[in-house]
Amino acid sequence: MTFLKKQNKVKFEGGGLVLFDDVQHAMLTEKALKSAGYIVKLVAPPPELRKGCDLAVEINLVEQPGIERVLREKDMAYISIDPIRIKTSPLLEVVKVTDFGEWIMVKAGNMKITYEKASGIIVNVSGGGCPDIPYLHAQLLDKRLDEAPRPKDLGFTLCALNLDRAFDECLTMYSGGNET
Amino acid sequence: MMLIAGTVPIRDMPLTMGKVTFDGDYLVAGRGKIPCTQGTGAMVSAALATTSYLGLDAPYALLVGDIGEGKGSRELYQYLINHIAGLSPNVLALHYWLPNMAQTRQLCKAIEKCLKRPVMIADAASMYSAKAAGLAEKFDIFTPDATEIAFLADPEATHPAYIARHLFETDISRTPELAQVAYENHGAARLLLVKGATDYVIRGGEVLATITEPDVPALESIGGTGDTITGLVSALVYAEMEPHEAAIIAARANRMAGKYGRVTPATKVREVVAQFPSVFKDYLCQWSNICDIKGEN
Repeated sequence: MTFLKKQNKVKFEGGGLVLFDDVQHAMLTEKALKSAGYIVKLVAPPPELRKGCDLAVEINLVEQPGIERVLREKDMAYISIDPIRIKTSPLLEVVKVTDFGEWIMVKAGNMKITYEKASGIIVNVSGGGCPDIPYLHAQLLDKRLDEAPRPKDLGFTLCALNLDRAFDECLTMYSGGNET
Repeated sequence: MMLIAGTVPIRDMPLTMGKVTFDGDYLVAGRGKIPCTQGTGAMVSAALATTSYLGLDAPYALLVGDIGEGKGSRELYQYLINHIAGLSPNVLALHYWLPNMAQTRQLCKAIEKCLKRPVMIADAASMYSAKAAGLAEKFDIFTPDATEIAFLADPEATHPAYIARHLFETDISRTPELAQVAYENHGAARLLLVKGATDYVIRGGEVLATITEPDVPALESIGGTGDTITGLVSALVYAEMEPHEAAIIAARANRMAGKYGRVTPATKVREVVAQFPSVFKDYLCQWSNICDIKGEN
């Protein structure tokens, strides 16, 4: 007698949902994201999150900024991207500023950028844990704020999104705007 | 064997594993050559500086290129899932990668097949995925900063970008309270080393130690100084210190290296790493009673 070993199928746990007005857009988006290299899955959104149709694309929530960029570039229509856990707080937008004399450090969530006040040169990027952060660190370091690339344009993850919030605040302060 | 796993910011660098050596300003592991910069490079550098000083076997590093697209991270997870039982390291330190809850779950299951369970340490996004997947308690040490302890305390957040505003706005002095909440919500490892203006070593909600001296505020702005603490604590645990002792000494050594290096917010992390041998030479015996050293001291 032959026993067939049942393979354990790994369940995708993304933590985020892209919500749509209609089923067709959900299916097109799934295809577009898969062809861009993302691991995603068509799912039925829980009733509490349902905004349009009863089909959504589950994504790894950490990849939200990169996925939003793909959808923007491909002109794909969607309602919103939301965490699956319904009690999750909204994206954190608050920043904290530390004055080190010659330098200013701005912190947004888990990310920090430090620049030299006089020159606007980025001297350090710290915090975070996603793989685009060491890459962004290398891309931003020693560049002037108004000449450096935006983290949201190069990054893929929520860490990069936080870094971009810090960057934006640095840019405002360096350009003579009001400190937060 | 001590194994450090993480991504490096070199697009398309294939997965590689090997014993780490210094080659000038670079680290070499297997076919990978990486700079000592923020992220896994800083962590590995600090671990190697410690094992070299103590005369221990150098750490092994499992590295892969990933600039955020996730492909390298998935390969790294899968390699560990497939091979961790065979490798059975004494210490497994997980670092930068694209957090993946399902693969973290598979990895924790695979680790149960190791001959002897490794001491498991997580920082950066490997800590995020462990917490998000509800597996924090499978880990021995987490090394969060002040924002990340708020993330561990928020039962709903799967990433620090989504933590509740009132938790983010707390200051480091509320760390014991947040850690208590994290433990109640099963969001913390057995031991927490919380990095900040005051460093806290917390086990099961109880504050075992606080470290405030020397006070070097500029360290917070230097990319990689949190990574070096994780590298230090991993290597000291590999040297068979108790986790809480390793955490206390790691926090002290990192601060002292900042003082020795006269750091400013513009200092680079490799300049901090370069100070560790001098710090160990001057203080390790006093802090730990490890005085008979056979390494490069």
